[in-house]
Amino acid sequence: MHRTARTVSAALAISLACGLTACGSGGEGVAADAEQTLTVWAMGAEGEKLGAVAAEYTKANPKIDVKVTPIGWDVAHQKLVSAAAAGTLPDVMQMGSTYMGEFAELGVLEPVDTKTFDKKDFFPAGWEQGVVDGEVYGVPWYVDTRVLYYRTDLARKAGVGKPPATFAELESMAAAYQDKAKTKWGIYLQPRGLDTVQSFYPFLYSAGGEIVDKNGKAAVNSPAAVGAFEQYGAFFDKGLSTKSVQPGYDPLKDFNTGNVPMFFSGPWIRTLIDEQYPDLKGKWAVANVPTGKSSTSMAGGSSLVISKDSEHKAAAKEFVAHLTSAQAQADWYRRTHDLPANLAAWSSGELAEDPGMKVFFQQMKTAKSTPTLPTWSEISASVDTALESVTQGKASGREAAGKAQAGVEDLVSR
Amino acid sequence: MSTTTTPAAKTAGKRNGPAQRRAPADGPPRRLGRQNAAGWLFSTPFLVLFAVFMAFPIVATLLMSFTDFGLRNVTHPLDAEFIGLENYTKLFEDEKFLEALFNTAYFVVVGVPVTVLLGLLVAVLLNNGIDRARTFFRVGFYAPVVTSIVAVAVVWRFVLDPTDGLIAGLAAEAGFTAPDFLGSETLAMPSLIAMAVWRNLGTVMVLFIAGLQAIPTEVREAARLDGAGTFQELRRITVPLLRPTTLYATVITTIGYLNVFEEPFVMTQGGPSDSTLTVSLHMYREGFNFFHMGYASAMAYVLFVVIMAVTVLQLRLLKDNTS
Repeated sequence: MHRTARTVSAALAISLACGLTACGSGGEGVAADAEQTLTVWAMGAEGEKLGAVAAEYTKANPKIDVKVTPIGWDVAHQKLVSAAAAGTLPDVMQMGSTYMGEFAELGVLEPVDTKTFDKKDFFPAGWEQGVVDGEVYGVPWYVDTRVLYYRTDLARKAGVGKPPATFAELESMAAAYQDKAKTKWGIYLQPRGLDTVQSFYPFLYSAGGEIVDKNGKAAVNSPAAVGAFEQYGAFFDKGLSTKSVQPGYDPLKDFNTGNVPMFFSGPWIRTLIDEQYPDLKGKWAVANVPTGKSSTSMAGGSSLVISKDSEHKAAAKEFVAHLTSAQAQADWYRRTHDLPANLAAWSSGELAEDPGMKVFFQQMKTAKSTPTLPTWSEISASVDTALESVTQGKASGREAAGKAQAGVEDLVSR
Repeated sequence: MSTTTTPAAKTAGKRNGPAQRRAPADGPPRRLGRQNAAGWLFSTPFLVLFAVFMAFPIVATLLMSFTDFGLRNVTHPLDAEFIGLENYTKLFEDEKFLEALFNTAYFVVVGVPVTVLLGLLVAVLLNNGIDRARTFFRVGFYAPVVTSIVAVAVVWRFVLDPTDGLIAGLAAEAGFTAPDFLGSETLAMPSLIAMAVWRNLGTVMVLFIAGLQAIPTEVREAARLDGAGTFQELRRITVPLLRPTTLYATVITTIGYLNVFEEPFVMTQGGPSDSTLTVSLHMYREGFNFFHMGYASAMAYVLFVVIMAVTVLQLRLLKDNTS
């Protein structure tokens, strides 16, 4: 009796494991309209909120049972890599541009059917995040970009009536905040540590510089990039920006007190300010990145990818098509405030009318995404190091750019 | 040749007769063999676990350290190329690794003596000096050992924060400006050492309390009868008799500190300017952020050899003194 029960449960466990890992597969896969379970992994806040959307999808398509597993960002990378190694990736997963190069190289991603998904429907910088070596692996799900947040009340005190149009104006505005509005700092720019480069992208891209150019060559020491390094460093040299922060520092608290009247950040900050500091309402605004050669910010966000080993590619494709449709994207914005990657979602409602959202829309149209190279995390780490040497006054912009160039050359040649 | 049996051989065969009859006397060893078999059987679970989770990774890491195992080998492990000692030679040209070695050495050279001495001091005080609330203090000193590093990090960030921190607040009251502990290249490492000492003091203290209680009271009484003061008793009785405990405490603290990872990982991420980058942290980054598994494995083996050498050296030095 006991033994049979145990045997049955063991058999069940094995068949369940087989179902989840698709072992002993090799067929054409399950048809889109067959009864099936679709496994989906999503990270952070998206992972938390996708469950409800998936439940609605299942209600509308009773044969497709969508199971969403939320994954913390802190463990996401390792979990995905181990799943790739073990061949246990889910059918559909969320993937940022920094992972895309790695996982395409691992050969675990299914190329996107470009007949179903049209490049023209999405922000160019959103689409680019899913393209590796000319092959499309991801459909853009949501995007983000950095714009300038600034305190309008303190700007009035400082005698500045409008947001800065150029980087020289950004610098003089920071100085005016400090001199006339008596703020502790003029602007927050990340001085060092992991991902300092994200603070630097608006400077670099607007100057017309790049870390790696279109041909995959290191370009950190181009005259434009050197100029950007110098411009970035000037804020620290002149005491307009703090040289030292604790890891994980969030400028919002200091934005509220007025210690930090300006910083560059993404769309999620709007929600955070409204939630955490409702008293700030009407005292701040967002503005486009100042213009150098152009006003160009960085593009981030996430794409949706389908696993190469998935048994349910047809159903997965339909689910991805649903999530990236204009209607679902507008709905997703209401739930999460993630910026829709689908351009059509921006044509009505808050996204079309709110002046702040217009700033994001405009910035996103020209934003640049980071190259999808498998060694990108190393490349960006070497630029982080170069930036630190500049902000700490240990190297000139030219010296730092030269050193970073050597490091990046080494990394792109692999 | 072999067909002609010499009488000598015959007699030898005969002489062997009784020995063969004594065969049952082989019983006990055979029973021992059966016992052995049972022993092996019972230890199978452990042996399997040991083989899978200890021996295999150790050997695999060693093999990996001679290859260029990288990201693409995660799905195709056998495609990794054998590159001999290249990872090892590259290590000693890696500025970051050399800096990490230096930082780790700094952590050990300062951290170990401070931890062991303070642990001894606290143990002696708790053993003799304080009668009341002894348990309270013991628990208090031991609490950091069993507290999660994440919680500890939150508390220490608050203590060290240059604007809103505890030390900054106290300094402001007194009219000073507190330094930016974690933001300064010279102060970041000492701050992490202070944190590590605080976290590991409890372990060392417990060892010393056990050691102190193992010292026979007669020896102390005899010393006191002979007119030894507190300090003399400490120097002539306590410290010498605690030598085995001191050796053990020093060795385990050193091994722990050579592996230091958590403190810089949660507090500084190795910064500012790599001033708190330790070997373990560098290894973690190379291995798990950049997936240079072969290179990180080589680093693990170098660290292992260093730990081995330092431990053997310590055992030699401190043991020789006892005899």
